Amino acid sequence: MPTNAGTSLSSYKHIVAIGTTVKSESLESAAYEIPRKRKMRSDSAAVSGNSVSTPKKLKSHLPSSVPNPGMSEKEVVEDSNEILRYPVNLAVSDCLGTKSKWSPRDEEQMRAVKEALHVSKAPSTILCREDEQIRIFEFVKGCIDQQKAGSLYICGCPGTGKSLSMEKVVQQVGDWSTQAGLPPVDTLSVNCTSLSKTTDIFSKILGEIKPGKNANTNSSPLQHLQNLFSQKQESSSSRMMLIIADEMDYLITKDRGVLYDLFMLTTLPFSRCILIGVANAIDLADRFLPKLKSLNCKPMVITFRAYSKDQILRILQERLRVLSYVAFQPKALELCARKVAAASGDMRKALCVCRSALEILEIETRGSTGPESQGPTPDDSVVRMDHMAAALSKTFKSPVVETIQSLPQHQQIIICAAAKAFRGSKKDATVGELNKLYLEICKSWMISPAGITEFTNMCTVLNDQGILKVGQARRDKLKRVSLRVDESDITFALQEIRFFRNCLL
Amino acid sequence: MASSLSSKAKTFKSPTKTPTKMYRKSYLSPSSTSLTPPQTPETLTPLRRSSRHVSRKINLGNDPIDLPGKESVEEINLIRKPRKRTNDIVVAEKSKKKKIDPEVSFSPVSPIRSETKKTKKKKRVYYNKVEFDETEFEIGDDVYVKRTEDANPDEEEEEDPEIEDCQICFKSHTNTIMIECDDCLGGFHLNCLKPPLKEVPEGDWICQFCEVKKSGQTLVVVPKPPEGKKLARTMKEKLLSSDLWAARIEKLWKEVDDGVYWIRARWYMIPEETVLGRQRHNLKRELYLTNDFADIEMECVLRHCFVKCPKEFSKASNDGDDVFLCEYEYDVHWGSFKRVAELADGDEDSDQEWNGRKEEEIDYSDEEIEFDDEESVRGVSKSKRGGANSRKGRFFGLEKVGMKRIPEHVRCHKQSELEKAKATLLLATRPKSLPCRSKEMEEITAFIKGSISDDQCLGRCMYIHGVPGTGKTISVLSVMKNLKAEVEAGSVSPYCFVEINGLKLASPENIYSVIYEGLSGHRVGWKKALQSLNERFAEGKKIGKENEKPCILLIDELDVLVTRNQSVLYNILDWPTKPNSKLVVLGIANTMDLPEKLLPRISSRMGIQRLCFGPYNHRQLQEIISTRLEGINAFEKTAIEFASRKVAAISGDARRALEICRRAAEVADYRLKKSNISAKSQLVIMADVEVAIQEMFQAPHIQVMKSVSKLSRIFLTAMVHELYKTGMAETSFDRVATTVSSICLTNGEAFPGWDILLKIGCDLGECRIVLCEPGEKHRLQKLQLNFPSDDVAFALKDNKDLPWLANYL
Repeated sequence: MPTNAGTSLSSYKHIVAIGTTVKSESLESAAYEIPRKRKMRSDSAAVSGNSVSTPKKLKSHLPSSVPNPGMSEKEVVEDSNEILRYPVNLAVSDCLGTKSKWSPRDEEQMRAVKEALHVSKAPSTILCREDEQIRIFEFVKGCIDQQKAGSLYICGCPGTGKSLSMEKVVQQVGDWSTQAGLPPVDTLSVNCTSLSKTTDIFSKILGEIKPGKNANTNSSPLQHLQNLFSQKQESSSSRMMLIIADEMDYLITKDRGVLYDLFMLTTLPFSRCILIGVANAIDLADRFLPKLKSLNCKPMVITFRAYSKDQILRILQERLRVLSYVAFQPKALELCARKVAAASGDMRKALCVCRSALEILEIETRGSTGPESQGPTPDDSVVRMDHMAAALSKTFKSPVVETIQSLPQHQQIIICAAAKAFRGSKKDATVGELNKLYLEICKSWMISPAGITEFTNMCTVLNDQGILKVGQARRDKLKRVSLRVDESDITFALQEIRFFRNCLL
Repeated sequence: MASSLSSKAKTFKSPTKTPTKMYRKSYLSPSSTSLTPPQTPETLTPLRRSSRHVSRKINLGNDPIDLPGKESVEEINLIRKPRKRTNDIVVAEKSKKKKIDPEVSFSPVSPIRSETKKTKKKKRVYYNKVEFDETEFEIGDDVYVKRTEDANPDEEEEEDPEIEDCQICFKSHTNTIMIECDDCLGGFHLNCLKPPLKEVPEGDWICQFCEVKKSGQTLVVVPKPPEGKKLARTMKEKLLSSDLWAARIEKLWKEVDDGVYWIRARWYMIPEETVLGRQRHNLKRELYLTNDFADIEMECVLRHCFVKCPKEFSKASNDGDDVFLCEYEYDVHWGSFKRVAELADGDEDSDQEWNGRKEEEIDYSDEEIEFDDEESVRGVSKSKRGGANSRKGRFFGLEKVGMKRIPEHVRCHKQSELEKAKATLLLATRPKSLPCRSKEMEEITAFIKGSISDDQCLGRCMYIHGVPGTGKTISVLSVMKNLKAEVEAGSVSPYCFVEINGLKLASPENIYSVIYEGLSGHRVGWKKALQSLNERFAEGKKIGKENEKPCILLIDELDVLVTRNQSVLYNILDWPTKPNSKLVVLGIANTMDLPEKLLPRISSRMGIQRLCFGPYNHRQLQEIISTRLEGINAFEKTAIEFASRKVAAISGDARRALEICRRAAEVADYRLKKSNISAKSQLVIMADVEVAIQEMFQAPHIQVMKSVSKLSRIFLTAMVHELYKTGMAETSFDRVATTVSSICLTNGEAFPGWDILLKIGCDLGECRIVLCEPGEKHRLQKLQLNFPSDDVAFALKDNKDLPWLANYL
């Protein structure tokens, strides 16, 4: 056996001989199968100083992997250098070496990978949000320590782990308070979208404070809460209360009363609320609650920034780490991370892209399966760059050109007419004007034009497709039309059709 | 209604408690002459009792003192009627007694009279009451009727048990009271129960087995009957499992020729036999009175049962096993239900009714004679009831129920190819296969299967978009149909499927209640539903007894659900991202860029699964139409191609293409009928399609302008002329009127006058052919043509009445 200890990322190729025995068996048995492997390795590389007793440890220890004959030494070194830059990366690629062969044909394994990549599966640890979590936790802890109310506003783009982090913090606070021997903290997590009306949040809070005392009908829940927090309470009920309002901007009403009242609850003298609001808008508090600033109770703001490329990569690797086999080429993951980070930094998107790449692979293997299923090339069995690229292009590419090309002819003529009309400084026209242009084109090409009603219908369809924008008007003919795609796109899309090439010149 | 069933003890009334009955019995008994008054009630009662079960001392505590006397009479009876069947003798009905007694006591008819009548050569003799095989049947009685096909020999031999066996000890002996479970209708002895019951409890009672079943456990140890003992099914059970029928006797007669007794039966139906099947609200013992009649022989009648109206049924808690409830009449032809009124009426009314009927029947036939008589028939029955019936084969029953009667002319009419084509091209006709969408359907199937196939269902969402008429909904539905078949085959785990059309919701929020109803079957307000659904999907609680099935939600017209703050869509799309939600959402809409138009947080949750249904091109449309018309030779190939090309050029909407073809078929049909020649080719040709397309795509204004009145035409011509002359789109009524007068002058038409001209202008304005200045009508009013002058000219040009108009156009 070769003795190179460098981590070759494609080293799984050479474990095939061993892996084939493992492949068909379940994960547990795979783990037990490993000692055979290990023995061989410890002869050659002698890297594993501590003998591994559990499969878990096995994952973390350094592999002795085999150099890829097709890969030059230099590449290997580069690879390992890159790995050294990211410690997590190293750990992940560590286990890659020891992991058994993954086969996309194995439904069990495929399912496990899909599950690991699913949005609903919360990872055990949340990477890359440690700072934010600590800040939130410290804030809550400080409030509980001092027995004072406080408010916090968390903002960030969708898919940056806000709600997930909040769940973790709540858990941490619970653990901490039991450890410190404090009375347990009441926690109320509300997703504001699920309230049937905005003021319901007060009754929910009241129900949490005084369960079973809903019969108090002569005052609204809000008044009741205000009374409760403005008078000194008997010591028995001195427990703090943590309110987490997810998607807080759904509480914004016309007069912003609900949101304001909610924040004001934390300023009352004997309030015991720790309010944490979560939303996307970065300036929700500034924009909608200017009064709070003057009252000097502006909530602290913690921003969750969009994930960077490295963070997305780490999270993806972390998620895939629980699996005992390799499903993704690391470079493919990196490509995904780069693309998503550049576009939005939305983790959900990254997960979706990974999954759809996995599905592309699945279809590919299923298609190629059959007669030559005996000897699948090892490259075949992981998600490679091209799979990921296909998934990414499916997600992020603009479908405009293809859409225009697949449109019916008359609709293409309309777009053509519109492109001509808006070539100059003109930005929009009425349907009637556009119809005139359309009729002209039809006449010049000896095509019988569609009637005006048909024409308006076609405009609506194009509006639905996002190519035209048709405004509102009382009469069809007076609706204003403007183009929503770039003229160059249209020219590019239609240039293949000879008929239109002359039109657009 | 349910309470009416409460604690029905299966106790059989002791015959001794019904002395009136005994009078009748004695009256009927052949040994006694009809004029002989009844002896003693006591002596005669045993007749019935012995015939049943000797061991049965019926629970309600008859005094045993009577017994010796009865025994003796019983013996006599037995001797007298050797062929006595136990099941014939069930006369334990209470409700009937009242009805019968007055007749019996006040209208005794001498048998002599009947004899004399019979000697006449009449075909039929009608009776009001017949005693047949020891049992008395009367018009208006309810009876069990055998099914002819029920020829199972051992069943036949077997005596139908009148008392059902206890479900625990499997014996029907017993002096104890039997109690009936309100759920499974099984009978239980009070002392066999664990713990034993002392008395019949108030209110509903459910047996221990049903209770266990209801609590959701599947392992129920139901006591098995002892080896060798066959579980005897009572008639009630047979009826409810549709092995027997129940009927009401409407007429009783004897065929004079062969002496066979017949009844005209009005059938009862069990709920399962109706078009709707058994509904949730149907009681176990509910029957429907049908409007279906049949003439059957008395042989088929087994014994009495008692069908009661709800009011009586609630009182009849102790009347035994053969009590049924009938509240509605069922129309077998229309499948409609109607509340039965006359059953609820008193017995006196029904008597009158029968009398009325009698006269009627006398009227309509000379040959038929009606007897106000009771006839006792014994030993007439040949050998085997079943055999007799099947041999004679004169049995019409429910076999004909449900068969649709197709009118003669429809049946004889052979559909022509064109008619067939028209039928298949209807939009409502579901195509057998969906061509040109197999790729998309595969993708949907893969998506759904990938989501639900494994036991850990991962919530996902897919957005399907495409222009109208590209087969989005039908593709998804056919995928679901295929999946359902696979579920039934067992290759896919079961799921529940909720289909919602956004446009059919009263408000976007109502979707919650619709989803909740789809999942649980209960209808609640949307706020409550939202709460429950949140618990179900976000927190993983169950809705009711609902199991762990994954849920597939199909939302058509998803864009309708976009509210101001988009919270509805947020909630629906947020659920799949929760662990354990097991929710798969399929959204369908027309707009391509709906996710981009939504709030970023929603599009983030929506995922990236998109599926685009592009407009069909002409080849696909052609394939769709030809697949629909497979096997029907009605269209020329070029005609189909022409239609599909035309549609593909404008919208690519398959619906439109089908409509055009259907219209073309109609046009062709009309053309062929009008030409009245059995033309060599009955095919739809290009010209027909052209006509259809003209109708469809040509705006209606040309049609309108072609058909306006003569003066209006002149008016319009003047307007066009004016337009050509001045080049101004807008003109005034004043000027148009001047032109009209000059045109009329040169062409020898009479000028109609200003008033009429103004009126014509207004009419054209209301048709929106001409746009009038709003406000009062006056001479200087501004007018403008609403359509291009070319269109107007085209419409007016070839005109036979006014050929000179063309000069001005």
